[in-house]
Amino acid sequence: MPSRFETEAPDAAMQLALDRVRASEEAGRGSDMQGLGFNQVVVNMGPQHPSTHGVLRLVVTLDGELVKDVIPVIGYLHRCKEKLAEKRTYYQYIPIVDRTEYLASMNCEWGYVMTVEKLAGIQPTRRAEFIRVIMAELMRIASHQVALGTFTADLAPLGTALVFYMFRDREKILDLLEEASGARMMFNYFRFGGVRYDLPDGWVEKCRELMARMPRLIDEYESLVKDNAVFLQRCIGKGVITQQDVADYGITGPNARASGVPLDLRRTRPYSVYPELDFDVRLGEHGDVYDRYQVRMDEMRESVRIVGQCLDMLPAGPVQAGTLRAPYVIAPPPGECYIGQENPRGEYGTYIVSDGSRYPYRLKYRDPCFCNLQIFPKLLRGNKIADAVAISGSMDMVLGGIDR
Amino acid sequence: MPHVLPKIGSADLTIDEVAARLASEFGGDLVDVRVQEPDTVVARLDRADLKQVARRLRELPEIAYEMLNFVAAVDWLTHLESVYHLYSFAGNTYLELHVEVPRVEPELETVSDVWPSAEWHEREAWDMMGIRFHGHPDLRRILLKDDFVGHPLRKDYVDLVENHPNA
Repeated sequence: MPSRFETEAPDAAMQLALDRVRASEEAGRGSDMQGLGFNQVVVNMGPQHPSTHGVLRLVVTLDGELVKDVIPVIGYLHRCKEKLAEKRTYYQYIPIVDRTEYLASMNCEWGYVMTVEKLAGIQPTRRAEFIRVIMAELMRIASHQVALGTFTADLAPLGTALVFYMFRDREKILDLLEEASGARMMFNYFRFGGVRYDLPDGWVEKCRELMARMPRLIDEYESLVKDNAVFLQRCIGKGVITQQDVADYGITGPNARASGVPLDLRRTRPYSVYPELDFDVRLGEHGDVYDRYQVRMDEMRESVRIVGQCLDMLPAGPVQAGTLRAPYVIAPPPGECYIGQENPRGEYGTYIVSDGSRYPYRLKYRDPCFCNLQIFPKLLRGNKIADAVAISGSMDMVLGGIDR
Repeated sequence: MPHVLPKIGSADLTIDEVAARLASEFGGDLVDVRVQEPDTVVARLDRADLKQVARRLRELPEIAYEMLNFVAAVDWLTHLESVYHLYSFAGNTYLELHVEVPRVEPELETVSDVWPSAEWHEREAWDMMGIRFHGHPDLRRILLKDDFVGHPLRKDYVDLVENHPNA
């Protein structure tokens, strides 16, 4: 029987970190801090660490307080989403898409449904298109609220103040989504050629009322943080992502836009009714932690604008193309298709290969967080461990999407 | 911040022009070049040419494919296939490269030195489909446990209890 004090043998990632430490010691590259001979220490941050927002594990090599090396380890939330697709019809798979990136379920569903529609040649109705945009943009606001709330909670001076403000208002958005779809987070709302239910009576007025209040609420969030000296000091100039990094590591979404790259699929590869809507792609300048925060704040304002326009333009008509039964037996012709969709975190793509049967032959997600996470070793190296937490918070990781 | 990436869509070429350009530039290397509406060029590629074509695509004047979107592996029973999805900022177009890999000894050259983002996508392809990438800096499993046996997205994969020890 093993002694209770005996530690487990290091796993592959831990072993890799230890090997790198040994190699750097042998090469005579110990501490970079002159006169101080700290030992390098390998620390497991996560998978159950509150600041990693999920089951992300970072194997961090520390030299004193300085981060020398980071090895992200993922897969703790792997639920075989791509394998599950093989044994489910296109229709049965919709609720499973919800559970990939659970903070942006509406957007994920849309990405999947849009890809299948393209494969099968289904055209959604015009009213459904507007409802989809409204739902996706509401979800984007709610998702950014979680992202910014938890991010500021990582920065000590604010504590969890902003989280409470944001979650208070996020709940109102989720109420709206629940009223339309019947579920608070796992909606199962999108259908091939439309959406499941039409908007209930009085929904448009309720939504309009909330959207009228939203700009003031966003001002309130901003007033809490934007003049806080400690907040600014911890954000400005930290964790800079250059434009070269954006291309090298395939970074998309607000993280890319914070670096001044206007990569927004709603504009660069317009889908649905986005070409008819008037909104700006908000960009950052420096690509640091502060810009990533600011871009998300600005995007919430833009989303409010989009929802307002859609409510004004919302046409009458059916919300489902054809008869409601038609989508149950969907079997797209053989072929393959990839469609990227602008998720709150970046390009959420679905790649589907169809062999003509009722089941997807191969389904693959291009998850924005999976790609954004790859830059972590480069981004965190050389920072203090406390800043590493702030930087990783600003990248807005959702492990459900990464691990799939 | 210095602006290093070209403006999105600055090349101002239609997708057919991009396809013609690629077909003429790469001669026999890219076969079956076709356009998938609205903005994707699809092409096949021999796996021996993968590395040099990747290098040239990234350096291509005017419409350099600077970003690797993802790598997907597909099991076609007779063979495996690795799909590279690239994005060009200047052209604002996508390129989908299909590379055939034999089922026995499925090996490919890594492109992670051309596009660093390929590193994890290739690890995923190894994890799920069992494609080995030569020259990859750190080819470990990524989503499954280190001691997992087999590659579950292969069509002939049978899930046995022995495949996941210590589960």
